[in-house]
Amino acid sequence: MSSLVKCPHCGLRPREEFAIRGEVATPRPKAGADESAWFDHVYLRDNPRGEHREYWHHAGGCRRWLVLSRNTVTHDISDVVDASTLKVGGDA
Amino acid sequence: MRDFPLNIVSPFPAKPAANGHAAVHIAPIGDGFVFHVLGNAGATEGSLKKLINDIAPELGGALCSPSPHQWFWIGSCEVSQDRFAEILAKLPDGFAMTDQTHGRVRMAVSGVKVRDVLAKGTMIDLAPDVFAVGQSAMTQIGQIGAMITRTDDDCFEIMVLRSFAVSLWDELHHMAAEFK
Repeated sequence: MSSLVKCPHCGLRPREEFAIRGEVATPRPKAGADESAWFDHVYLRDNPRGEHREYWHHAGGCRRWLVLSRNTVTHDISDVVDASTLKVGGDA
Repeated sequence: MRDFPLNIVSPFPAKPAANGHAAVHIAPIGDGFVFHVLGNAGATEGSLKKLINDIAPELGGALCSPSPHQWFWIGSCEVSQDRFAEILAKLPDGFAMTDQTHGRVRMAVSGVKVRDVLAKGTMIDLAPDVFAVGQSAMTQIGQIGAMITRTDDDCFEIMVLRSFAVSLWDELHHMAAEFK
């Protein structure tokens, strides 16, 4: 895994400062959705080969939640944004 | 607003200034104040600076930001509880402030080998041409969360939570031991 992460607030930081929460889940299902849709949302996670989006918490720095786009094959990090910026578009 | 006076006691041993590192000097900063200011999403450092100039110009001090819309307002003078209440009352909507003078401990690390010492614990680049005077960063020294501010050419100020202060103090002395 790449050892430096470009935090949008703090700049380049070592990955030891971050806590990794895991995959950005699919959008939350509607309240009355099928049980299988909820099961998928709550429990099932992809483990893709290639591009992957994950929640990272900058625990040792600004303490913000970030959404990081990472390639699981090359370990390249293509994009890091503050998780709050995604809420506006509703695609987190 | 706090209901009882804060008793600010140094967390360090009785004679903390006694350290024998020739190229590195480690000293606690006992005086001064640390206020933690939170702003809403529209708050900027510029607006806070202007605000401080308007309501408490005599305190001076500097702002360093550990996180977006959050600042530590750090200064070297003593601020009474009444004065703090006054400032708090003048703070407009969109800002909140707490006195953290008792909760955050500052120490000054300086000397020609200061970067070699800090490099053993922190992972950020403190090189003179990268980390300018006045710049600060919230990071870790070992596993201890610390705010590092460059105050002069070879001088850094480190601020940690009080409960970690003695631990970091000892760690810094270990890190500086080779320069005795």
